[in-house]
Amino acid sequence: MKFSVRELVYIAIFGAIWGAVELTLGSYLHVIFPPLADTFLVGMIMASLGVIVALVGRHFVPKTAAVFMIGVVAAILKMISIGGVTVGPMVAILAESLLMELGLLIARKDTRRGFVLAGALAIAWNFFHKFIMMYILFGKGVYEVYVGMVQQGASLLHIDLSYTLLIIVFLFLIRLVAGGLAGWIAWDLGRVVHDRLAR
Amino acid sequence: MTVWQDRRAMPRTQRATFSAYGYLFFFLGTAVTAILASDARVVLVLLGTLLFAGVFHSQALKLLRHRRIWVFIVPTLLLSPLVIGEPDLEIWGLHLSRGGFWAGLWMALRALCIALAASVFARAVSVSQMAELLEGMRLKGLGFALGVATNMLPTIQETMQTSYQAIRLRGGFRSGRFRTLRLLLVTVIAGSLRRGDDIVSAAEARAFDPARSHGSSISVTHADLTLAAAFGALAAALLLV
Repeated sequence: MKFSVRELVYIAIFGAIWGAVELTLGSYLHVIFPPLADTFLVGMIMASLGVIVALVGRHFVPKTAAVFMIGVVAAILKMISIGGVTVGPMVAILAESLLMELGLLIARKDTRRGFVLAGALAIAWNFFHKFIMMYILFGKGVYEVYVGMVQQGASLLHIDLSYTLLIIVFLFLIRLVAGGLAGWIAWDLGRVVHDRLAR
Repeated sequence: MTVWQDRRAMPRTQRATFSAYGYLFFFLGTAVTAILASDARVVLVLLGTLLFAGVFHSQALKLLRHRRIWVFIVPTLLLSPLVIGEPDLEIWGLHLSRGGFWAGLWMALRALCIALAASVFARAVSVSQMAELLEGMRLKGLGFALGVATNMLPTIQETMQTSYQAIRLRGGFRSGRFRTLRLLLVTVIAGSLRRGDDIVSAAEARAFDPARSHGSSISVTHADLTLAAAFGALAAALLLV
């Protein structure tokens, strides 16, 4: 895929905005909620913001691989920024941008529906990310993470632990809804930014 | 100076040993072997990682002085006896698990291995080399985009802070927080895109053409291949033994 200079600069800008959000808000939230203690909130907030930024970027660079390139730029900025424990967010950024591309490819045309699908797919990754990263980083049995997620879901809903399957489905659905919503917002936001720049 | 030129600033000894591919092999190899190493074997992987970092890129060891890494590691060590395994010990009224403690320790060491390897890769390989590696994977123009992003990042962070403070001082976050957040995002994106137009004009004025980008000039050295073979053998041994 060939990009013009303008498109490459726009990719750089949206990648840098995503990177800046990860470096400021992301680092802050990861310190407040240590990864082992939190299995729900931080990843979803960061993924939602990333999806919004990347999909607004798609408004300005409506070409295949643009969202993935935005993700690659954001991931590299995240990696070179502190040189600390950034493997998890890097993998998440790359996986989310790839899934957004997949959603947009399935939708074929850039429509609101396509953005919603792309957002939902991207944040669905967030559900599996914990299991995969926990296994890669810690080698921890998936069972313990599963129990942690189920317990958090149960306390959130004030229901008995026996409703485990319901909780798992609920946690997954929340991510899908959040992703869809992020895609919906990105579609509107892209138009607002276009209007603002046209003034 | 373009993003392609900063490799010249690297010390000659480093260039003579491993290329960017070598450090990539090291990062991936360490991650794979740390995952494959069960229980106390991860100590050997950590020792190997520390040795490599110490000999070839001692700057990466600065990671251990970073508070952020301990914020990540210490809770793992403290929480694991509480949440992993069956409690078989009671200290100060806390029901702890010995198995959980050891599991937590191996987990923390494994995370340390991977974080150290990532630190070596991030410090040894420059942004331009990373871009070259990715351009080799048919992502044309990524080097240019990465250079622009690196230069824009401080400006964007400043714009974010300035816009946030301006909106907050006008009482933006007191009510309608969602609308205010939306306004903040629009302001940051629109402002950054306006600045982007100047960069486009500057690049076009210099007749920059992304289609004529250099492509990857990094080649795999003998040291890279030896390192990859060593990791392959180690991974096979961990799988078989």
